[in-house]
Amino acid sequence: MTLLDVTGLGKEFGGLRALDDVDVSVDEGELVGVMGPNGAGKSTLFNCISGVVTPDEGSVVFDGDDVTGEQPETLARRGLVRTFQHTRQLDTMTVRENVRLAALDQPGERTLPALARSEAMQSVERDVRERADDLIEAFELDHLADEYASSLSGGQRKLLELARVLMLDPDLLLLDEPFAGVNPTLTNDIADRITGLNDEGMTVVVIEHELETLTALVDRLVVLQQGSVLVDDDPETVLSDERVIDAYLGE
Amino acid sequence: MSVADRLPTGSAERAALLGSVLVVVGVAFAASPLTATFPGDLTVFVEIAVLFTVYAILVLGLDLQYGHTGLVNFGHVVFFAVGAYTVAMLASQGSFAGLSLGLPWPLALAASLVTAGVVGAIVGATSLRLRDDFLAIATLAAAEIFHSLTENLEVFGGTTGIFSIPQPLAAAAADYDTTLLVTLLVFGGLTALTYAGLKRLTDAPYGRVLRAIRADELVTRSVGKSVFTYKMQAFVYGAALAGFAGGLFALYNGAVAPTFFTIQVTVTVWIGMLLGGASNHRAVLGGLAVIMGIRLVSRFANDAAPMSSAEFASLRLIVVGMILILVIRYRPAGIWGDAKELGVDS
Repeated sequence: MTLLDVTGLGKEFGGLRALDDVDVSVDEGELVGVMGPNGAGKSTLFNCISGVVTPDEGSVVFDGDDVTGEQPETLARRGLVRTFQHTRQLDTMTVRENVRLAALDQPGERTLPALARSEAMQSVERDVRERADDLIEAFELDHLADEYASSLSGGQRKLLELARVLMLDPDLLLLDEPFAGVNPTLTNDIADRITGLNDEGMTVVVIEHELETLTALVDRLVVLQQGSVLVDDDPETVLSDERVIDAYLGE
Repeated sequence: MSVADRLPTGSAERAALLGSVLVVVGVAFAASPLTATFPGDLTVFVEIAVLFTVYAILVLGLDLQYGHTGLVNFGHVVFFAVGAYTVAMLASQGSFAGLSLGLPWPLALAASLVTAGVVGAIVGATSLRLRDDFLAIATLAAAEIFHSLTENLEVFGGTTGIFSIPQPLAAAAADYDTTLLVTLLVFGGLTALTYAGLKRLTDAPYGRVLRAIRADELVTRSVGKSVFTYKMQAFVYGAALAGFAGGLFALYNGAVAPTFFTIQVTVTVWIGMLLGGASNHRAVLGGLAVIMGIRLVSRFANDAAPMSSAEFASLRLIVVGMILILVIRYRPAGIWGDAKELGVDS
């Protein structure tokens, strides 16, 4: 079943055509890679899908509903969750708080239950804490749980961001360059985690520059070039495609 | 500090209890035939202390907006003024200038909270969706606009202001000193209750969302939180509290005039908040106490110094400015603030 269906997506910034008639479709349970040279429109595609920017034309259908131009918070609550290319951690909050924040349906996030310190809020919060601590442990951040996120290293920030989005228990996870600036050991570690999530049934779309990491990881590769889809096929076919070799290696 | 670490601490409950006791004792004292007398110079301390309790509600509301949510409100005085004028216009009886409807004061006090909240919602709606600095400009402008309206429109009593506002505590208490004491008790109790409510709110997951917004709005949205709703709520709550403080001030003072509601009020609460340490309720109260304490001490110093009070006022500004510079240089998070939580590197 198709979980995400992007049709005819277009976006212009000033005179620059960042996306031009892009069609991408992702089935439930798939692990799809999006690659392309710098400026190909990968991040803009993610931004349009996740509601961070509104596309000029085309439509985004998620789980059977047209969600074009919906706000990021609405999409996140519906199960479409993304990470950012430059990791965005909440520096002035601890690792624990960063992860706990993402919990959905916490009645204590409304004024009256918060003031009343309602039983519902407290019991949800106990669950939230437990789940957050489990995730923090799974991502081997437990020794840093009470540190402010500002003191984490680049790689630890990537892990924290993953832990935070998993707190939302997404149906579709969009990962924007999860391996950028990460050492090879950690890259393999993160790749294994992504495979693990996918094996458990989560649909994942990964943006990445590095061909090797991505081709080994994904079921299918979408190559973007200058805002359009160049190739959309399984990794082996894509890698032997002349146009991809041209785009990546030049003439 | 995480929410979990804050939940079991009972400081909000203690403050709520203390606040209720103070209000009850204050009201009972006012109603009783007992009187209090302050020896000579002490009266001025009590007067300043009463003013402190009013400003304390202002600084707690401002800190919910700025310290917790990151909203820059440079016109906090406007909500204070709106609250005070609401009480004045609704409750005053036969003032010779401005509107005076003579309605019961409890109704007027409740209205001060609502009116200031509504004004907050209007100001917020114009600029909370925009970049941070737009709110700063909009609030600053709103304060100036309201100030000139009060000076120039007859319903606000013009530069004369509105008089004959009921003073329920003064009416119940036997004499001036007793009035001061019961006002201090009741207002102090209300400040403690405000502290208790805000502390509960910010310790709850609600506060976690506010702090996340302060740190990064886009991340907060991308994990499913309606950032605009939260910003609007925090802003309106702060505005409504300021209105309530204004209402209390009018009922204590018995008169309002534009001179009570200048940018000086905004400056005092901002400096108090930054001096103490934003996003920490007790720290901002401490900071406010320091800045108001300096005013008080300087009053006595003025008597001893061989200069006119106008010269001395300038000197006081210099001293306050230097303290602010020292704090920014050596304790950028404020005296009791947490540099890591505020994201300032010292």
